[in-house]
Amino acid sequence: MIDLIAKKRLLYIVSFILIISSCKKEEMINNDKVLHAVTLDVPSNFPKYVDDLNNPLTKEGIALGRLLFYDTRLSGNNQLSCASCHSQGLAFSDGVALNNIGVSGQTLVRHSPTLINLAWSNTGLFWDGGVTNLESQAFAPLTSVDEMHQNLTELEYELKQVPDYVNRFKFVFNSEIKSAHVVKALAQFQRTLVSGNSKYDQYVRKENGVFLTSQELEGLELVNTKCKSCHSGALFTDNGFHNNGLDNVFSDEHEGIFQGRFRVTLNPADMGKFKTPTLRNVMLTAPYMHDGRFKTIDEVLDHYNLSLKNSPTVDQLLYQNNNQLGIAISTNEKEAIKAFLHTLTDHHFITNKNFSNPN
Amino acid sequence: MKKLLSIILLVTVLFTSCEKTDNFTIAQTEGQATITFDAVFGAQDFALNKDFIVGTKTYNFNKFRYWVNNITLVNTKGEEIKIPNSYYLIEETAAVPVQDGAFTYPATKRETVELKGIPVGEYKSLKFNIGVENKYNDNLSLQIGELSQLNGMTNISWMWMTSYIFSSIGGKITEGATTKNMLIETALNANHKSVSLNLPTSLYIDANKSAAVTLTTDVSKAIDGVDVYATPVIGASQATTMASVATNYATKVFTVKSVN
Repeated sequence: MIDLIAKKRLLYIVSFILIISSCKKEEMINNDKVLHAVTLDVPSNFPKYVDDLNNPLTKEGIALGRLLFYDTRLSGNNQLSCASCHSQGLAFSDGVALNNIGVSGQTLVRHSPTLINLAWSNTGLFWDGGVTNLESQAFAPLTSVDEMHQNLTELEYELKQVPDYVNRFKFVFNSEIKSAHVVKALAQFQRTLVSGNSKYDQYVRKENGVFLTSQELEGLELVNTKCKSCHSGALFTDNGFHNNGLDNVFSDEHEGIFQGRFRVTLNPADMGKFKTPTLRNVMLTAPYMHDGRFKTIDEVLDHYNLSLKNSPTVDQLLYQNNNQLGIAISTNEKEAIKAFLHTLTDHHFITNKNFSNPN
Repeated sequence: MKKLLSIILLVTVLFTSCEKTDNFTIAQTEGQATITFDAVFGAQDFALNKDFIVGTKTYNFNKFRYWVNNITLVNTKGEEIKIPNSYYLIEETAAVPVQDGAFTYPATKRETVELKGIPVGEYKSLKFNIGVENKYNDNLSLQIGELSQLNGMTNISWMWMTSYIFSSIGGKITEGATTKNMLIETALNANHKSVSLNLPTSLYIDANKSAAVTLTTDVSKAIDGVDVYATPVIGASQATTMASVATNYATKVFTVKSVN
């Protein structure tokens, strides 16, 4: 009997060893050091997120991505990093309508988006959703002459001059430094940028005895009835694309950049549609819209109240004014909405040392 | 006993799930073959900076490049042997300014790929795809074969919209006194195309000699049915025309010239 159990045990052990050796590649062991898998600390009021199987989060990969995010070696003139247009204090936006700090000095045609809760952003990135994942996304600003204008071969060369990077890439990706790994590390860091600790979140989770004032509660109710169809759920975005009545003429200049989602799908129904930005940290991320045309949240609310332009693709959800285009918002309601939007500011997010410049 | 069986079963299952990489090392005897993609323009040999006259129009090319992936040989039993990691950039190109001229990809002519580790046998057809399959095309950070961001087959317009450039024909087209720059590209998942070619005589893979297949790649067929003079730049905004070009690659561009 004992013999049988021992045999069984041996079998288990042998089979285990066989399994390990046959699938060794999938293990995260490099150089006898072990990578530490990371699961995002997801706020309890958030939906689940799905880790990217091609680029699973590791403590070391995230740390490398954070170094790269703040490293000006990533730009052709070694003066710009990702953080130049994605500043933590502004919820990783830049505070400018259309930036011109890129290598060419040319003014961009779209507004720098925030980097908030990107682990849930699974409908494509950029204002038109043209890129499918954070990894692929990074190549565009890295190489664009109007942004960081880095030569990817030179990027690899420059990073290889830094022994710490050589070691880190070897450890994290078991490889020499390649641009494909640069974008993977950047993506890992960006997926950790979770903002879910605002006053509103603490109120929802009944934490720290936090409560909302009656005006904030009124604002919450107004947002729920007037804005939530697009700025939906705990993420305050449906990650969808909508024509919110900004324009009624959509020029095909700049390779269709003013045509929004249409540029990607070439479906006429998508003309002038842009991605719904989250309302989280919205009071930090002025100016607003895909081209930063509204300087303040007041201008945004006035737009929805009074200035919507009609066109064949304008969103039907905007007919909130007795079947007329517009969202009726009184002066008092505007103040209440603003009061509520302030409760979506996540001070922990913008001061979190894990997200700041490590140097 | 039941437990023992289940362990064996488990181990077998796990083994088979990890088997992929071993496919070609298991084979007792293997041989190799080359496949050459010989570019022509109609009846003439294709060359850069050479005038090709079609009716009233003159074409003059500075590049012809395309990705070939997942080369598969089909033997007489109908079994498909897929060459692992087979991503190749086939090209005849002048120096390519990459990233708006930030650096230069050197002038290159490459028409032949070498396939190794093919099980010995008699093969009757050849399959491959033109472009980049969805998995890799949707995520520019995934690496396979020669696929790379560094060779000018991704450019900034395509980086705003995730895709490699699948094929690229560049140069000039002239009619009368007017010369236009020409750039005919295919990209996007919908334009990833399969090519299947029956071999006129069997391809024998044997361990002692390298076999060779030569294909004819007719550039004029890639633009067949497309008014290049009217639409000299074909990219994402010319979706219908781009789809026609991609279909041409699937159906007309490649023919088998010889099997040795």
